Amino acid sequence: MCGTCGCSDPANAVTLTDLDKGEEALLRQGAAVEALPHHHHHDHDHDHDHHHHDHGHHDHVHGPHGEVIALEQAVLAKNDRIADRNRGWFEGRGVLALNLVSSPGAGKTTLLERTIEALQDRVEIAVIEGDQMTVNDAERIRSAGARAVQINTGAGCHLEADMVAEAVKTLDPQAGSLLMIENVGNLVCPAMFDLGERMKIAVISTTEGEDKPLKYPHMFRAAEVVVINKIDLAPHVDFDQALCTANIKSVNPDARLFTLSARTGAGMEAWLAFLEDERGAAFGLAGE
Amino acid sequence: MHELGLTRNIVAIVGEHAGSRRVRRVCLAVGPLACVEREALSFCFDIVAEGTALEGAALEFLDAEGDVFMIKNFEVEEAA
Repeated sequence: MCGTCGCSDPANAVTLTDLDKGEEALLRQGAAVEALPHHHHHDHDHDHDHHHHDHGHHDHVHGPHGEVIALEQAVLAKNDRIADRNRGWFEGRGVLALNLVSSPGAGKTTLLERTIEALQDRVEIAVIEGDQMTVNDAERIRSAGARAVQINTGAGCHLEADMVAEAVKTLDPQAGSLLMIENVGNLVCPAMFDLGERMKIAVISTTEGEDKPLKYPHMFRAAEVVVINKIDLAPHVDFDQALCTANIKSVNPDARLFTLSARTGAGMEAWLAFLEDERGAAFGLAGE
Repeated sequence: MHELGLTRNIVAIVGEHAGSRRVRRVCLAVGPLACVEREALSFCFDIVAEGTALEGAALEFLDAEGDVFMIKNFEVEEAA
């Protein structure tokens, strides 16, 4: 069950935990991002005079059953609108926001820990951690030396733009900083929800098998960068790097690839240089 | 991938625009990269529409390009 359909489960609370203050805020209780009216099986004895919509602006055509009303509205318009607002805020302030996506256990948090340790003297890094439950990852990030807030999506399987907007209010990332958004571990749903990030970064690990990009093409197509992690384990798990690369390129020919081991540090330099370049570009853009 | 939640969005959006009028037909435009299963949407639609202005409405699909996923139009009963 995901965030947009969490309304079937009243216990599905989405929370934001600020580890610095030790405060937990409720972002949502069961409701979806759209705060949809819940029409399930309730009788319509109330009138709808709270809908003060002027229907006169619709194009009216007459079909076999009655009047056809053109709508042309994207189904995820609400999320996309909030995401665009986030993106404008990041660009205006010169914050590089990256959305890290992968299956659970690919090593997103370890990659962030090593990245923070390597860059923290030069770059302010703030992290939004998304998980269904626990503040474990936010605590790991804090131990590594960066500020972090934890979003717990409850039954939800991905982060949505409004959750990021709330987390950003708490974190208040400074100009020139790097905002890492670690999405819920899931190769399916996060592909569909724009958070307002500069780009999605997909992490795949050698233990997952080379064919993940073919099995979950939407995610690898949505990402501009793919990090192949745990390369130190490649010989032990018969990982075929050329095949994995070919599979990534077959679903996303433009993807930029980094092959590394967050654990041993192999290949980290290129990844860190990429982050510094992108951060400079985002910061420079805001200064112009 | 989120067909139940997406269907709830569709029913809520159309229901809001339809006001108190009964909806007969909803037309969606879906692109091949929208990550949306039409059969799953249809399956969810009847259940989600139950008890709303969209109950009994037909769900139709138009082929669109890319990742387009939008409510193209809907048809309501003529006001009496």
